[in-house]
Amino acid sequence: MSGTSSGWTRRDFAGGAALFALALGIPAAAVKLTDLDAADAPSDRQRKLIAEVSELVIPKTDTPGAAEVGVGDFVILALAHGLSGTRDPVATGVITPALAPFRRRDGSLSHLDWLESRLDHAAGGDFLRRGQDEQLRLLTAIDGEAMARGAEYSPWVAIKGLILTGYYTSEVGGSQELRYELVPGKWEPDIPIQPGDRAFSSDWTAVDFG
Amino acid sequence: MENLQFDAIVVGSGITGGWAAKQLTEAGLKVLMLERGRKIEHQVDYENETKAPWEMPFRGVGDTELYNREYSVQMLNRHFTEFTQDHFVNDADQPYQKTKGSDFDWFRSYQLGGRSLTWGRQCYRWSDYDFGANKRDGFGTDWPIRYADLAPWYDMVEDFVGVSGSHEGLPQLPDGKFLPPMELNCVEAALRERILAKYPDRLITIGRTANLTEARPEQGRAHCQYRSICARGCSYGAYFSTQSATLPAAKKTGLLTVVTDAQVTKLEYDAQTRRVSAVHWIDTKTSERKRASSRIVFLNAGAFNSVHVLLNSASETMPNGLANSSGVLGTHIMDHANTMAAMAVVPGFEDRTSFGNRPTGIVIPRFRNLDKLDGDGFTRGYSFQGGALQGTWTRGKRMPGIGEDFKEELHKIGPWSMVLVVFADSMPRASNRLTLSKRLDPRGVPQLEIAFAHGKEELAALADAKKEAAAMLNSAGAHVVMGFDQPGHGGTAIHEMGGARMGWDPKTSVLNRWSQSHDVANLFVTDGAQMSSSACQNPSLTYMALTARACDAAVKMLKEGVI
Repeated sequence: MSGTSSGWTRRDFAGGAALFALALGIPAAAVKLTDLDAADAPSDRQRKLIAEVSELVIPKTDTPGAAEVGVGDFVILALAHGLSGTRDPVATGVITPALAPFRRRDGSLSHLDWLESRLDHAAGGDFLRRGQDEQLRLLTAIDGEAMARGAEYSPWVAIKGLILTGYYTSEVGGSQELRYELVPGKWEPDIPIQPGDRAFSSDWTAVDFG
Repeated sequence: MENLQFDAIVVGSGITGGWAAKQLTEAGLKVLMLERGRKIEHQVDYENETKAPWEMPFRGVGDTELYNREYSVQMLNRHFTEFTQDHFVNDADQPYQKTKGSDFDWFRSYQLGGRSLTWGRQCYRWSDYDFGANKRDGFGTDWPIRYADLAPWYDMVEDFVGVSGSHEGLPQLPDGKFLPPMELNCVEAALRERILAKYPDRLITIGRTANLTEARPEQGRAHCQYRSICARGCSYGAYFSTQSATLPAAKKTGLLTVVTDAQVTKLEYDAQTRRVSAVHWIDTKTSERKRASSRIVFLNAGAFNSVHVLLNSASETMPNGLANSSGVLGTHIMDHANTMAAMAVVPGFEDRTSFGNRPTGIVIPRFRNLDKLDGDGFTRGYSFQGGALQGTWTRGKRMPGIGEDFKEELHKIGPWSMVLVVFADSMPRASNRLTLSKRLDPRGVPQLEIAFAHGKEELAALADAKKEAAAMLNSAGAHVVMGFDQPGHGGTAIHEMGGARMGWDPKTSVLNRWSQSHDVANLFVTDGAQMSSSACQNPSLTYMALTARACDAAVKMLKEGVI
């Protein structure tokens, strides 16, 4: 193992990702994590945490949940590469005392560090050791606060968005939970919705504007 | 290529370059087409066309870190995604300057086919409200042509391109030779009836788009498959591009030579004959400098790049740039002022949906300042484009909730909303202009510098548009939830034009009524640079018609020995 305090090495992570992809039949390109700088690498605990949090957001039902399709690792990759503006500097005006410890030198926030701290704080200890119902209750409260109209800036909004992106752009989320039709072949302008009809993940206008 | 001789050289391979190559070769001319970007072969090189998000490293969203570093401007384009990023320039490799106080996002596609691969495909005729606009209110210089000059060329171009649309009989948006229209969805159809009942002069009609609703077997083009991922490239050839339509036609003549990776640096001017005598370029792969000669030259590099070439072609006899005895070269550039005027939720259609991805929205043609000057603080027009759509999973990013109920909610087809984006006439102003920067690009060529700002007329038009969009939608049973009246940066309409304007007078314009230089008889500029005003319609169809018309004129002049 290398000298990183987390015990993580780039090679471990890349190898793990590739094995993970193999197990799920996901093309390796979709979970390519090999370019992460050491500074962006999560601790083992953070990796476990984001996987569990993603599953709380999108749980297994009659289709697999977020953990099973590797959404946690996508979020790690996305955060490292600044998707959804997560590596942009955050305006000083919206930095509350609670966020200040997680500010990087470039002005951006370390979303994973924040999430870990926020969840443990809410749990009054180790979030990962709480029962699932308790975890759901705690995360629901954090979500409700962050998503409320007029809420203070919260890193949760971006994390949640990336969890959704990770899930619904996966093969399971995009084509089993929702419908994916690359070549519709026709345009039917007005048809009835049948009970249980699933939305299309391949409705690109809806993805952009919906 | 050393000292090769052609009848014509076409600089650029985008929408107008493709047309110039087609028309000139079909007239029997031996043509060299120069393209600064890489080769992209139809059907073979559309690398991400059929990929699913889960087959992309960043799920189709793309690598923000890479984009910030190398695509800092292009990433702002709505059509720029991980699927399409290889159809846009690398901003780090293709820099340009903005004059202090100017905002201009310049969206570019340097490749064979240019922006014909990534364009929005909307095709609208201009009317005499547009060609007469400069004369009417005194901005800019009078167009030396009118609708009647262009109408037969619109016919010809539409026939070949394949434009689907609906005949509406509007004088401000003349009907064309249309393929069957794509139909409105249920919300758009209802809003059309409701708005028309209250506002007889305001009509929702389907976008007129260069997507085939009927196959063109003679061109090897299938009908639209309703994927709406056009900018990835379309192997069905269902939308008009250089690759799908004009290039195959030009190649069929056996008279076309295409050279890619060829950045044109200057046109060589012969002061004795008063003609362009050669075209110089850099092979961007080898850095070799090359040249070729021809009897005529067509500049189709894209509005600003055509002007750029002329500015870079200054010589002892033409110290301010080639074809610039008037001094107006580079001035009066335009780009439609645009913003999202309204977004509304539309209740009452919860049990209806559609199937397929229609590759066009709707349009509400101009209704201001037609026969009566009724604009408050502006003398020209605006038009809305947009459409009704249903949400999908991305709405969850704004919704509270987690867990099973949340997943179940996102499982469903989302509620209907209606979006109206406004495009307003950009006024031709001398202060909005292109000049040469002292900074060089990585190949040692002086960069282009852009000075651009919208003026009070555009702001007044957008303010009116926001008000009217809300009034129309709210009166039709929709509930407007947001709307803007401040324009996006210059360039964001991706309708940048002007800089080598057409006009009657060689003292105040660069080109004559045939898109031909007043100063240099064998030089034609038939892309967006030639525009004397902007109208509020998408301009590409007009560029195509003007190109076909100019090619016809040039061939006649060659035959008559005039040039």
